[in-house]
Amino acid sequence: MDALVIDPVLARACGAALAVILIVGAWQKLRDLAVFEASVELYRLLPEALVPLFARLFPVLEAMAGVALLFDASRSLGLALGLLVLGAATLGVAMNVSRGHTEIDCGCGGAEGHTRLSWALVARNLVLLGLLVAGAQFGSERALVWIDYLSVAGGTLMLLTLYAAANQLIANHPHLAQMRSGS
Amino acid sequence: MNEALMISNVLLWIAVLAALLGLFALARQIGVLYERVAPMGALMLDTGPQVGEAAPVFDLPHLVSSRERVSLGLPGDKSTLLFFLSPTCPVCKKLLPILRSANQSERGWLRVVLTSDGEQPEHLAFYDKAGLQDFPYVLSRELGIAYRVAKLPYAVLINEHGRVAAKGLVNSREQLESLFTAKELGVASVQAYLDQPGKA
Repeated sequence: MDALVIDPVLARACGAALAVILIVGAWQKLRDLAVFEASVELYRLLPEALVPLFARLFPVLEAMAGVALLFDASRSLGLALGLLVLGAATLGVAMNVSRGHTEIDCGCGGAEGHTRLSWALVARNLVLLGLLVAGAQFGSERALVWIDYLSVAGGTLMLLTLYAAANQLIANHPHLAQMRSGS
Repeated sequence: MNEALMISNVLLWIAVLAALLGLFALARQIGVLYERVAPMGALMLDTGPQVGEAAPVFDLPHLVSSRERVSLGLPGDKSTLLFFLSPTCPVCKKLLPILRSANQSERGWLRVVLTSDGEQPEHLAFYDKAGLQDFPYVLSRELGIAYRVAKLPYAVLINEHGRVAAKGLVNSREQLESLFTAKELGVASVQAYLDQPGKA
């Protein structure tokens, strides 16, 4: 089992980045709930009666997962909620992409909320799921020195900027594809 | 030795984060560039008929019954709010109740016309589901091109003389109302109002 235990610096950096991503995502959805509700409806996966409930529950669970990931005591709850929320979102995107229904907004924050559905979005979420699992580990026991805290801070910021850049590139891609086809 | 490693480590973190910020900024700039040159016949948000110019005249069939015609841009007894939307635009959906109430409360002087482009069946389903029977609804690609609509939801207010009174992207009730205010004040936008001599 020892080979599977990761260094606490890696675990904390992944956990903190995921927490920020989840909390910011939840805040973006709650800030404009009507828009998120319409996005959920456009996924055309839920019976209409359930859409308002889902649109309210989802960001709340998302925020709870983010906050829970930050503390040792609630980390396993954060993992469970995070897996549920990210898993549901990824499944929703994957089902729509596989049936060719991609001309809708992902409703997932991203770059100014103009991100279309694509496999790239599924891949992004799978990476996030990986980071979530890593971030929920306690990590191996070792004494932390001050430079470890620098590594955690740097690693967290690195993951967040990479995430922002990836989101922007995913949002750009449909424009590029459209230009290439020259229509 | 340890100190040297720490210093190099700190330096590298700074370099990595700076490079990543640069990457993000570049991606964002490319995104803006793509939006500006989107090959949809629409180039810039501030092109198309200018405020004060005559609105292009269109005579289009209603989505539901092709015998019913909707004419746009002709002088009449009411102003027209032309609202560009799409069934796949969540923000447009959020604005529908607001449009409905504006259609009611402003009906003395205003007619709200919804417009989009694409396949008719998809729009018919949207029309029925969202309960848009109170609005004339027209499908026309040419209309969007004429007003250079690049982003949705977009609205154009045409006054009773058939001239463009105000236009712009509309993401909220406040932005919609600012179009009405702009018409009342006879200015193109709040910016134009502030730029008038003797104001602000």
